Amino acid sequence: MSVTYLDAIREAQARALADDPRVFIYGQDVGAFGGAFKATKNLAQKFPGRVMDAPISEDAMIGLAVGAAIQGMRPIIEMQFADFSTPGFNQIVNQAATLHWRTRVPCPITVRLPCGGTSGSGPFHSQSMEAIYAHYPGLVVMTPATVEDAYSMLLEAVAIDDPVIFCEHKYLYYHLKAERLPTEAMPTGKARIARPGRDMTLVAYSAMVHEALAVAEELAAEGAELEVVDLRSVKPLDTDTVMASVARTGRLLCVGEAWPWGGVTAEVVARVASEGFGLLDAPPQRLNAKDTPVPYHPNLWAAHRPTARSIAAAARRLLRL
Amino acid sequence: MPSIPIIMPQLGESIAEATIVNLLVPVGDQVQTDQDIIEVETSKATMNVASPCPGRVERFLVKLGESYPVGAVLGYLEASPADAARLGLDVVPARNGEESEAGLDPSRRTQTESTHKSVQPTVRGLPVPANAAGASYMSPRMKARMVELGLHAADLAGLPGSGTAGRVTIQDFEKFIANLEQHKLSQASTMRVAVADAMRRSWTRPLATVALPVCFDALLNHRRTCNPKPGPALYALRALALALSENSAPAGRLIGNKIVHPSAIDVGFAVEAEEGVLVPVIRNAEKHRLKDMVKRYDELVELARQRKLPVEATGGSIATVTNFGTFGLTWATPIPLPEQTLVLGMGAARRVPNWDAAKGQFVPVMEANLTLSFDHRVLDGGAAGRLLARVAQLLASPETL
Amino acid sequence: MVHALFNHHAVDEVSSFGDLYVKAYRVMLLARVLDDKFASLYRMGKIHGGVFVGRGQEALSVSLGLALRRGDVFAPLIRDAAGRLAFGEPVLDAVRTYLGSALGPMRARDGNIHRGRPTEGLFVMISHLGAMISVVNGALLAHRLKGIKGTVGATCIGDGGTSTGAFHEGVNQAAVEKLPLVLVVADNQYAYSTPTARQFACGSLLDKAAGYGIEGQPVDGTDLAACLKVVGEAVNRAREGGGPQMVVARLLRLCGHGEHDDASYVDPKLKASPLGQDCLQVAETHLLRSGWADLKALSAWRAETAQRVEESVAKVQREPGPDPYKQDWCALASKRLSEGQEPD
Repeated sequence: MSVTYLDAIREAQARALADDPRVFIYGQDVGAFGGAFKATKNLAQKFPGRVMDAPISEDAMIGLAVGAAIQGMRPIIEMQFADFSTPGFNQIVNQAATLHWRTRVPCPITVRLPCGGTSGSGPFHSQSMEAIYAHYPGLVVMTPATVEDAYSMLLEAVAIDDPVIFCEHKYLYYHLKAERLPTEAMPTGKARIARPGRDMTLVAYSAMVHEALAVAEELAAEGAELEVVDLRSVKPLDTDTVMASVARTGRLLCVGEAWPWGGVTAEVVARVASEGFGLLDAPPQRLNAKDTPVPYHPNLWAAHRPTARSIAAAARRLLRL
Repeated sequence: MPSIPIIMPQLGESIAEATIVNLLVPVGDQVQTDQDIIEVETSKATMNVASPCPGRVERFLVKLGESYPVGAVLGYLEASPADAARLGLDVVPARNGEESEAGLDPSRRTQTESTHKSVQPTVRGLPVPANAAGASYMSPRMKARMVELGLHAADLAGLPGSGTAGRVTIQDFEKFIANLEQHKLSQASTMRVAVADAMRRSWTRPLATVALPVCFDALLNHRRTCNPKPGPALYALRALALALSENSAPAGRLIGNKIVHPSAIDVGFAVEAEEGVLVPVIRNAEKHRLKDMVKRYDELVELARQRKLPVEATGGSIATVTNFGTFGLTWATPIPLPEQTLVLGMGAARRVPNWDAAKGQFVPVMEANLTLSFDHRVLDGGAAGRLLARVAQLLASPETL
Repeated sequence: MVHALFNHHAVDEVSSFGDLYVKAYRVMLLARVLDDKFASLYRMGKIHGGVFVGRGQEALSVSLGLALRRGDVFAPLIRDAAGRLAFGEPVLDAVRTYLGSALGPMRARDGNIHRGRPTEGLFVMISHLGAMISVVNGALLAHRLKGIKGTVGATCIGDGGTSTGAFHEGVNQAAVEKLPLVLVVADNQYAYSTPTARQFACGSLLDKAAGYGIEGQPVDGTDLAACLKVVGEAVNRAREGGGPQMVVARLLRLCGHGEHDDASYVDPKLKASPLGQDCLQVAETHLLRSGWADLKALSAWRAETAQRVEESVAKVQREPGPDPYKQDWCALASKRLSEGQEPD
């Protein structure tokens, strides 16, 4: 019996629907069809009237969620791809994210974004959007890397009184499996030491955590012990855990699948450089995708994003600095 | 006959694997290009894997009802070399499998960097000067630790580094510190640490020394006639003061591209105190005759020895005199105080033969070395030599001091 | 709590259309005096940021506000002073928000017409036009899911706002879900300086209703009697399950886009036409002619209203602004998840 990352997301939604009558799911093709990725398979049947098909109107989908939230509901909005959340960007950042600060009325919506690239997806089915949402005050941005976190963090997202941008990684949907769903969880806001180490801190989130772990394995054979930190949420970002890790190792490499400018890796490096300058034995480094749209061809796609190979090269360079 | 692998294709967005439902062609049968060979089922649909080229089904590697990942080899076709070459299919493409399963396949090979041709983000190196092994580059972490431990780069002089360009890494540093703990350690006195710091700071300048052997008979004879007797260093102090009052430039300091001129001819003299050296100062030494300075000089020496020098009696001097001859030394290269350009040294006088041209023979004289150690940025050998020569000249007529 | 100016249950007790008309007129008068006050405070330099008044739109706006009940949701837009007051928004809310009082409903974190009381059904607009439609839809969907019946959701928009994608998505969504949405479109001929000829190509904005598959009704926005009837009936139809209702009112904007704008681009022919009539004057004339009020009453109401507004302004001007050092500077409801990055 094994549970995939996608199963976990589906199970979490099922549980949320079952436990809380205020929860409903709204998105394109989520009803009878079960969602483009089958994240809501069978949920419409199990919870009649609470898993609804939306027209292709991302702006109105989010607006509807906010209105429902003001009236006490806890909507989950499924965007078909993270890339398509941009038509709804205004409602997310200007309506949902500002509601509480301006009016004291909380906005407990959850927006699920299938993020990240798989080979052949191209520029508009591959994006990682966590940085621009994290930039706006008033949003929580989650980036689960494991099956367990996909489950427990989605449940927490629904329970949190603030708008949560839940960045699911499409590649992990079927590729990542666990033996069972978790019974306990770390709270959002805490990063996880995925692998302890001594010589370098390798910070990653979402699918990149697995690349990072592969790199740590590889470099262990060369005598270097890398500590891998899984951020779990990029906002709030657990600066304390990252700082404590750099205090142990003295070296930082932060990896992200998204673009470099103003991304999560820039934020991590900025924090460590400004608050932990005296902990660093070498300049903090980061590795991101190339500053172009995500390419379609597998050869280009593989070269566009950080891979275990490119991360390993960057790690070796940093170890020798 | 080449064996062509039948590969599990990428059957849809985010699909990672598929289950074998049916083997559509028996082993041994001929197939055409694109003929369906294996039926598979994904979570979304049932699809067929087709033959990449004409050939004979050689064998299957899969079991019905089992799942296999995208990129896995499901079986082999026997094809003609011409077909295989034409389609470029005569090698096993490990590439596809790697790209779609990057990071999750534990059997990945490590690749050397040299095979990776794409442009990686450049990581600029640390600003370590070439051939500057050791503590010349200190990382922020190193600096923080050094501040914590009260260390300077000079303390790490003996520590070669293992980092890039020979720099000292934090690991080198921590090992070094830990290693020190293995040795016998005793506390250095505050005085020792203060002198160490002053010498370290002084040494950041390029220092040089010149020397002049001087006949001390006149001085020694003059001294015998005095009561109380002036210390030998006082003669040198007075002579230096007079020489500097004639030309104070050698005692100037160079800060950037400016020469800071001395304002008063205050000259200090070194007194050995426990664990270090103190430097009391005679103010306006060019204005007072030698005999009028003796009392003050003796007082200062006594106060210094007892470590009771008042604040106003130290600091602010423009040059220092040191009589290393009291230790029996004939030659030394003292280091000027960090805030001064000059230190005049006097060695022990010895009886040596000196050629007397008038008499045509060697005559015994008392000879001592006068040394001038100086900041070579401010003056060169010539100016230093001239200053020493003038001091020697003045010392030859001690009654004029 | 919303201080109801008028007890909405009392609407049903209105003994005559005349009473309703008088009630509506008095709210319009209050809205006009309040707006004029804000405009003059603006010219005195006493207001930070923009001032947006609803001169010319009072009849339409008050008709919607009066037709709504407690339990309904209302997302007014920028020229809905009359509608807000009719729905029950306290005068002090408007004054406090414009004058930046820390005691206002927005606590000075937002200003001018960006105000409301969401938990009491009065939604707070964001500046992006059309964005509130789907929010009202969401509230109505929530009512449906919770089994709350008989409520209506209303929002207003101008001719310019109907061009946005958000408008399109919101109206379409309401139509697909058959929600009891009442959309009042004030076609006041100008979106800032842009005349309607540059805003849409359909003959009338009512054509859009047909496009979405919802009912649409026109009304003369200068005529209070017509507005009360048409808007009231639209609200009833929605309340009784008739699906989304669109009312398109024709009128002329009698002010600048904001008080910073002199509206010199408005076609003088429009100003001179029947479309350019001031609905407040039209209503006064109608009151007098119908015998529902005399000149003495009008004069008394004007004096009373002016007094009330003066007192409110005087009161709020003595109130403190927000203290930046006492703010929590936290945008999340869940404090434990906020980062508090910036040092003080």
